[in-house]
Amino acid sequence: MSETTPTATPPVPDPSESALAPLPGRWARRMPRDEYVFMWIAILLTVVMSAFLVGWIFVSDHNVPTRSKATTPTEFGEQVSSFMAANDAENGVVKVPPGKDAYVMAERYRFYPALVLKVNEPYTIWVSSRDVLHGFSLVGFNRSLNFTVAPGHAYGLRFTPDKTGTYKIVCNEYCGQAHHAMTGTITVEE
Amino acid sequence: MATAEITASALPLTRSERSVICPVTGLRIYAGARALTLANAVAAVLALAAGGTFALLVGLTRTPSVSMLKPEAYYQSLTGHGVAALILWPIFFEVAAMVFASSILLNTRVWSMKLGWTSFAAMIAGTAMLLVSVISGKANVTFTAYPPLIANPMFYLGYIVFAVGVLLAVVNFCMTILLARQERMKNKSLPLLTYGVAVAALLALMGIVAGLVALVPAWLYSMGLIGSVEPIVYRAWFWGLGHTLQYVNVVAMVVAWYGIIALTLRAGPVNQKFSRLAFILYLVFAVPVLGHHFIVDPGLSTSVKVFGASFMGFALGIPSLMHGLAVMGAVESRMRRGGGVTGLFGWIRALDWKHPGIAALGVSLVLFAIGGWSGSAQTTLQLNMLTHNTMWVPAHLHAVVVGGMTLGFMGFAYYLVPILAGRRLFSRRLATIQVYLYGGGLLFMIAMQSWAGIIGVPRRTASIEYGGQAPTSWELPMNLMGVGVTLAALGGLIFILQMVLTLIVGKPTSDPAELVPSASKIPLADPPTLAAATANVGGPNDGGTPDRRLETPGAFSVMTIYVALFLVTWLAYFAYLTLHWAVN
Repeated sequence: MSETTPTATPPVPDPSESALAPLPGRWARRMPRDEYVFMWIAILLTVVMSAFLVGWIFVSDHNVPTRSKATTPTEFGEQVSSFMAANDAENGVVKVPPGKDAYVMAERYRFYPALVLKVNEPYTIWVSSRDVLHGFSLVGFNRSLNFTVAPGHAYGLRFTPDKTGTYKIVCNEYCGQAHHAMTGTITVEE
Repeated sequence: MATAEITASALPLTRSERSVICPVTGLRIYAGARALTLANAVAAVLALAAGGTFALLVGLTRTPSVSMLKPEAYYQSLTGHGVAALILWPIFFEVAAMVFASSILLNTRVWSMKLGWTSFAAMIAGTAMLLVSVISGKANVTFTAYPPLIANPMFYLGYIVFAVGVLLAVVNFCMTILLARQERMKNKSLPLLTYGVAVAALLALMGIVAGLVALVPAWLYSMGLIGSVEPIVYRAWFWGLGHTLQYVNVVAMVVAWYGIIALTLRAGPVNQKFSRLAFILYLVFAVPVLGHHFIVDPGLSTSVKVFGASFMGFALGIPSLMHGLAVMGAVESRMRRGGGVTGLFGWIRALDWKHPGIAALGVSLVLFAIGGWSGSAQTTLQLNMLTHNTMWVPAHLHAVVVGGMTLGFMGFAYYLVPILAGRRLFSRRLATIQVYLYGGGLLFMIAMQSWAGIIGVPRRTASIEYGGQAPTSWELPMNLMGVGVTLAALGGLIFILQMVLTLIVGKPTSDPAELVPSASKIPLADPPTLAAATANVGGPNDGGTPDRRLETPGAFSVMTIYVALFLVTWLAYFAYLTLHWAVN
């Protein structure tokens, strides 16, 4: 075997072996055992992860929201207005009764109106955009949940707040020169 | 084409057809190929310099205690950073790699030098349009330019002209390979490096087609010629370009890994079938994976998201894991067989970790492994809600694109550029320091960004004050991140100076030991020729009784431990998800 018989280095090394050289015909060899086994380990990892996340869809209450409707900025704007009127909005703050849907408009540069929710009650919050793409990032207590807000689409996010306090909605999709000032508020009460 | 040989020797050669024999590899380097490779490599390094300058401005603006730029200048720099560092730098380098892998590795002249220079000129023109748009402040739309945000028309046109230039380079690459096949490669397979670059070129082709579908309407829209562009549809096609391009980068990075070990250790993969299969898998899975940009978008069904994002994203882990084993296994096998190294990890200790190539390879592998994990978490349907558009995203993409790819390219450039220029690297010691400084700075930056991402700090925003309403916990990781940014920027600057000084004042030499010194601390015997390796009786290749021993037990152990940690931490992330508000 050549590895046990070192020879003097030739002035121009023979490139015929390395990844730099063309391979002659019939180069395909059987994979060594460890490569073959590891390939199956990698495939198994993929299968396990895929199966786990599909199972999670059915057993967990932490999943990506699926409610979504086509809309227009005008139509959604009207829904937001009637939602505010029906629930006696004051200064752009709406106390949402448990069991009722909420409507929040994202526009440059605010989320509107602010919501007050009851703790441990499920709410569907519909969000859409009046202008460009926005991000709906619900932040508070060192956690965040993040969604895309697109014009023409109303996205129904069904949340169950589990802790009282003030949460901010922060826009996390770049939307223009005052993007970093775009926020909204959700307050969770007893 | 037997006549080609005769005419070539009978007629005086044009300048681009003159050639020299590479002292390191014995390959024939045509002057035209050399010039084209170096031109693209130099453009790449300049683009990296621009991208790095913008990076420092962006990073120090995101550091709350510095807050360097005003919002408008920040979004402008952010756009410039994305364009220069994520589009221009990798693609110029990849076009250099295309010329290198087709012409130089195949001992063939470039099919058409005219086409080569036309492609280069188009890419430069596109670059100029993009950078002028950004610097004039008319394109503060970030590099993704999601409509209905509008940049000036020249910005989109710059992208389009650049893409056409890359298309021409891909055509020239393919034709050069065909030329080599006709002239001197009958009944032979492409070298592994060329094969990998060919996969990257095919991916680039698919990506560019998708990109044109996104950008041409956006360009027309920016000129007011069409009334609207559907934002989610634009996003789909844009990421058909954007994320496919990232796999062009990944493939090119893997090629750089194989290139580094081939040059510094004369190590080739234990089994080329395994490595080539892994390259092919990227082709299969890379395009549908754009789905992960839409996991938390309205208007798409869960099954599309699960298939296009999660399944494809996980499947893309398979080839990366395979290459991880193949690259480390190649080194291990070389050190064991050529240097007689024993023990499970003796081969790692026998490597010269002060050697810039090995240092770059090691750091690149580690950072890419981290980025691969964080990317898998992001592409997981449910976990994406925790990270979408938070600082977790830049943490992921800097781990793979900067830590993995850029550092891999830098490691390869430390040999490619000296070989092609015929000059010694300006300072090898500085190169080693550069690798660890850059890698260490990045690692720290990535760690801080990940922390910030987990607690919800948004990405791509000029400030995180929100009129004093932002959580107070956001400032600490973002301030610490600034330290990492500064260290990495310094490392980047050293690389650029190194390249410039090598080209200008590097000592001219043709001594292989000076151009590419060995990366092994112990003397290595010559590798067996391929003929000997394929006849390797008793090894894995004899077609008879399978060998029960592992060929590369050390690399196999490292990768298996990585997979185990990968799975455990991924599951732990789901436990963390349940601490959030219930959502569905």
